[in-house]
Amino acid sequence: MDGSERSARLAAHAADCVECQGTALPLDRITAVLDAVAPDVDAAALSRHTFARLQPNLQHQALVLGWRRVAIGVLTSLLPLPFVLAYNAYLLRFAYDLLSGVLPAPIAAYLVLSYGAFLVLLFGTTYAAIPLLVVQRSVQRPRAAA
Amino acid sequence: MASDEELVGRLVDGDELALRELLRRYERPLSHFIYRHTGGRDVEDLYQDTWLRVTQHAARFDRSRRFSTWLFQIAVNLCRDWHRRPPPDPARLPDGSAHDDRPAAEARIDSVRLLATLPELQREVVLLRYYQDLTEDEVAQILDCPKGTVKSRLHNALARLAATVKESQ
Repeated sequence: MDGSERSARLAAHAADCVECQGTALPLDRITAVLDAVAPDVDAAALSRHTFARLQPNLQHQALVLGWRRVAIGVLTSLLPLPFVLAYNAYLLRFAYDLLSGVLPAPIAAYLVLSYGAFLVLLFGTTYAAIPLLVVQRSVQRPRAAA
Repeated sequence: MASDEELVGRLVDGDELALRELLRRYERPLSHFIYRHTGGRDVEDLYQDTWLRVTQHAARFDRSRRFSTWLFQIAVNLCRDWHRRPPPDPARLPDGSAHDDRPAAEARIDSVRLLATLPELQREVVLLRYYQDLTEDEVAQILDCPKGTVKSRLHNALARLAATVKESQ
């Protein structure tokens, strides 16, 4: 915004303001003094110094936020776990009852336990992937925004 | 190009590029505002403190508001606090004699003095309304007062400035 725009702004106020209309304001002289000299500030240098000062804060903030997201992700995914485990235990029990009717009990137990071990492995890898996915998403977000 | 409000959202994620961009966009208006508010003293400290508060409280920023309004609100509050602080030890004041022979410095002092003749509330209205690209509604939001108060403060400020200018001539 240059000086003429600023002067126009004051003139618009003076024309609109009831109190100003009753006063003869030397707007030209006021704006001339106000615009006489621009502030002696190296704005770019100020920004550089500010960025250097705030960069560690920002990195710390990002780290804290990242861990908070991981914690929320893990806790949210842990909520339905007891129900899922109970349901799978019920299914394994049902499968064992079914298999032990047609197969010798040790073989039925071996099959059901093998399947149970496979399920445990599957759950373990799924839950281990949650923090990794959250971290990956956090890393990708600023990149995409840039 | 991302809006200021989007950049604040990215700032919450710790995005350094967002901070760089916001600094670039507001470095001139903000530093000039602080300079004129304090008469050129402690500009760097107040400028950094303003951005420190922006980064600390970015998560609480209401994105339905304009970022510039929020930013200047923070700056106004910090400048007000600065004015309330006790004056520094005279021995620590910088020596101004080195600038006395420069005409530009004299002119700058004149405009700074002219603004300094205004009470704080009137000076803030002039700084925000005259120097910054802000509407009366936005100034009212920043100063947390009705629009009518902004108009009346601006009128009083202009009347006082007019009297000061006349006296000096």
